[in-house]
Amino acid sequence: MRPMNSYLLGWLAVLIGWSFIQPVSVAAFQPTKPVEAVVHTGPGGGSDILARAIADLLQKENLIPQRLQVVNKSGGGSAVAMAYLAEKKGETHTIGFFTGVWVTNPLTRAEAKVTIKDLTPIVRLVLEPAVVAVKADSPYKNMREFVEAAKKNPGQLKQSGGSVTGRDNLVRLVVQKATGAKWVFVSFPSGGERIANLLGGHVQMMVIEPQEAGEHIRAGNMRVIAALTEKRLPAFPDVPTLNEQGIDVPVIPQARGVLAPPGVPKDVVQYWEGVFDRFSKTAGWKQYLEKNQFEDGYLKGPGLNKFFDELTIQMREVLKEAGAKVVR
Amino acid sequence: MEALGNLILGFSVALTPVNLFWCFVGVALGTVVGVLPGLGPAATIAMLLPLTFKMNPATAIIMLAGIFYGARYGGSTTSILLNVPGESSSVATCLDGYQMARQGRAGPALGIAAISSFVAGTVGVLGLMLLAPPVARFALRFGPPEYFALMALGLTMVVFLAGKSMIKALLAMLFGIWLAGVGIDLFTAESRFTFGQVELLDGIDFIVVIIGIFAIGEVLVNIESRGGGELFKVPKGLRNLLPTLQDLKDCRFALFNGSVVGFLIGVLPGAGATIASFIAYGIEKAFSRHPEKFGTGVVEGVAAPEGANNADAGGALVPLLTLGIPGGNTTAIMLAGLLLWGFKPGPLLIQEHPELFWGLVASMYIGNVMLLILNLPLVPLFAQILRLPYYVLYPFILGVSIVGVYSVGQSLFDVWLLGFFGLLGYFMRKLDFPAAPLTLGLVLGDAIERALRQSLMMSQGQLSILITRPLSGTMLLLAAIILLMPLANKVRSWRMKAVEQEI
Amino acid sequence: MRIRDKKDLVSAFAIGAFGLFVIYEASGLPYLSEFGPGPGFLPLWLGIGLFVFALLLVLVNLLGSASMAEKEPQSWTVIGRALGVWFGLIVAIALLPWLGFGLSFALLTTFLILVLEGRPPLTAVSAAVALSLGFHLVFALALGVPLPSGPWGF
Repeated sequence: MRPMNSYLLGWLAVLIGWSFIQPVSVAAFQPTKPVEAVVHTGPGGGSDILARAIADLLQKENLIPQRLQVVNKSGGGSAVAMAYLAEKKGETHTIGFFTGVWVTNPLTRAEAKVTIKDLTPIVRLVLEPAVVAVKADSPYKNMREFVEAAKKNPGQLKQSGGSVTGRDNLVRLVVQKATGAKWVFVSFPSGGERIANLLGGHVQMMVIEPQEAGEHIRAGNMRVIAALTEKRLPAFPDVPTLNEQGIDVPVIPQARGVLAPPGVPKDVVQYWEGVFDRFSKTAGWKQYLEKNQFEDGYLKGPGLNKFFDELTIQMREVLKEAGAKVVR
Repeated sequence: MEALGNLILGFSVALTPVNLFWCFVGVALGTVVGVLPGLGPAATIAMLLPLTFKMNPATAIIMLAGIFYGARYGGSTTSILLNVPGESSSVATCLDGYQMARQGRAGPALGIAAISSFVAGTVGVLGLMLLAPPVARFALRFGPPEYFALMALGLTMVVFLAGKSMIKALLAMLFGIWLAGVGIDLFTAESRFTFGQVELLDGIDFIVVIIGIFAIGEVLVNIESRGGGELFKVPKGLRNLLPTLQDLKDCRFALFNGSVVGFLIGVLPGAGATIASFIAYGIEKAFSRHPEKFGTGVVEGVAAPEGANNADAGGALVPLLTLGIPGGNTTAIMLAGLLLWGFKPGPLLIQEHPELFWGLVASMYIGNVMLLILNLPLVPLFAQILRLPYYVLYPFILGVSIVGVYSVGQSLFDVWLLGFFGLLGYFMRKLDFPAAPLTLGLVLGDAIERALRQSLMMSQGQLSILITRPLSGTMLLLAAIILLMPLANKVRSWRMKAVEQEI
Repeated sequence: MRIRDKKDLVSAFAIGAFGLFVIYEASGLPYLSEFGPGPGFLPLWLGIGLFVFALLLVLVNLLGSASMAEKEPQSWTVIGRALGVWFGLIVAIALLPWLGFGLSFALLTTFLILVLEGRPPLTAVSAAVALSLGFHLVFALALGVPLPSGPWGF
């Protein structure tokens, strides 16, 4: 009898123990009403377009039971959008689409009190490459020639770009530092004006996303002289990277992805991770990436946190050298 | 002649029942959007983008473009009837349009607005069709110094908006320029005058200011007098509700002025309908035989700016369709739409997708006709709004103002700003400070500062760049002449008085 | 010393003071930056311009001819009415996050019609409700424009 009892007891113990380590299969989180997708640009801006495209694809692939409603919270770079998300603490039906600006903005703006660490990262989806472009009849065949010309005539050559804390100027600063060349940066708030000024000959070069440049290149108005990436871009196999041309600078990535407000429960985070996991494998998404010449930057979990930390440090360095007022 | 062949192709696309239907939907929606202050075509188009995925791209862009230029028609209605600009480009219309309404000529004002919108809008499309590539290339020659000169020319229009006191007009303009500067400085990322408020980082929205000053200010001023039931006389009889032949004759130059100025300025990316409408107004007054009557209800004062803001729509599509460069917010969203539907707007768009470009052009002709037909009969209807007892009308205006402002960014802070600017508008009226120069300063302030700093960035700090380049030099010379005109007039009248006294 | 227009003096002083404020704030910003004028450049000159022209306004008033003599005196009751309406508007705006647009607007309308126009309460309330409903129908439902909403969704 005794061996039998302890035998049974043993099995009972195993059974009880087993039931404890099984995840409690309560109904897992599912959105029950439309989900807010916060972007920091107005309608028509880069983040807005991407968010709408992703919302559309998610619907097509039936990956979520409710639709994604894009909410524009533009202002102060990403400050207003981030503040909005921070207020929605614990909210399960709100997500945000971040870009590199969400990391750099709080570094330079005292009023932007919410930093990327305050929010809950979910996944990084895209790494947006950039290229250096010149007008088609420009004398510079590659970046080296441009840099040499800039060295000979410091302050004479001009680059059009966006805000001084944006990627285009940061690229200029790191290249200037590495090569000793100096050229002028002229800010224009809209992409249209930047391109117009390049084509009109008022500036000599600009940093631009390949898909924006695509059409002008096809029409023969623009030429690409360098790729700002680790490896050459598939759409421009003949265009060498900066490193290949002997300019040794770190690649400044423009990342895009999804995050959630602070204090969101773990199962909700896991739900979103799962959704975007499946999403990133769909053919529709892969097509979108290809069409827009984006790099698949899928990254989640601790790797994503590390990415944010490293990016913050890198940006702080670069911004300080740029002479921008770093407040955090 | 190639253009004719293409146009026929275009009409074959535009005249299909589906495209006609959606063109109508677009322009009707655009008119509604234009009438309502605050809600702008940009936001509406963005909201409708997802719907367009299921449509044929040509149909979609016909509809979206319809909203775009339809809004220019609608903006004049509230400007004339209530002194509330429906869009920033309708502010200049308020100046004489509202005065005409006060004199019982609301009908002719609305009518002439519709007619000049039609004529100029059609000219704009003609320009788009015939002149697009060369005009686009010319526009590329406009760099920062040229923009600065253009904005400076725009600011000199204050001379024409001054009314009785030039000093007060200048003060209002300076304040407007200051308002434009609130927010983050683009070049150095420093924040100016934000008083620590995150909502001010992006500056103060233009619509909030003008609805506050014009709409709320107007209500507050009118509410002072506990008057009778109706606002102003609404003349009876159809004859009084449409512009007379004399009116039309008076507007001959205005139509030409508005069309040309609107189209050319519209082509420049970054310069918009608002600037075009002010410059057209200024030019009209400068060349008029009775400039002192402007501001009291002159019909050309309505025709010129209204024409300009419609021709601008055609102009704004030039850089978009020929170079893939959006000229402003609304065209930027249309560009996004084109990208989403798989098109690549750029220099090759017209060659590779002629049916899209020419179909759009043809539908714009049709759209302008539709809008004329829509708007003219609505004139008597809209004029009846003036019949509402004003204790219903004023709350209505207040409500529409709040809704309009809130629709821009869903921000309560904006609504608070609305209240503030309403009070400011009231005090400006009581103290005789004209509001139009403030608007001018607000619209141009940002742009002119940017253009100046960009120019100096380009020239390494040499101001001479502004004068040595031929285009900008010429425009600046013109601006200087305009500024000195009142002085010259004063000198002349002073000399005349001296001569008289000697006799 | 004839004062041409007292109102103008008041506004001139106010603007002059504002100009000084702008100059003060602008001097805290960098005047020149790496290339060309900095963020403080234009505000500084604007402040100076405002102050100078305000001064001119004062001068014109003190030295100019008294040709604009007949100005009806401002009736303070009349201004009071306008300011009363403005306060009503401010209160309505303050109530927006608590009561939502529908109710706040209805309250504002009732206040306007009742207190300021002296119409019977029934007219006031019915007009208020009608307008408020109208706004809701046209904007929130038909056009899909977001309206500030209170805890009960409208």
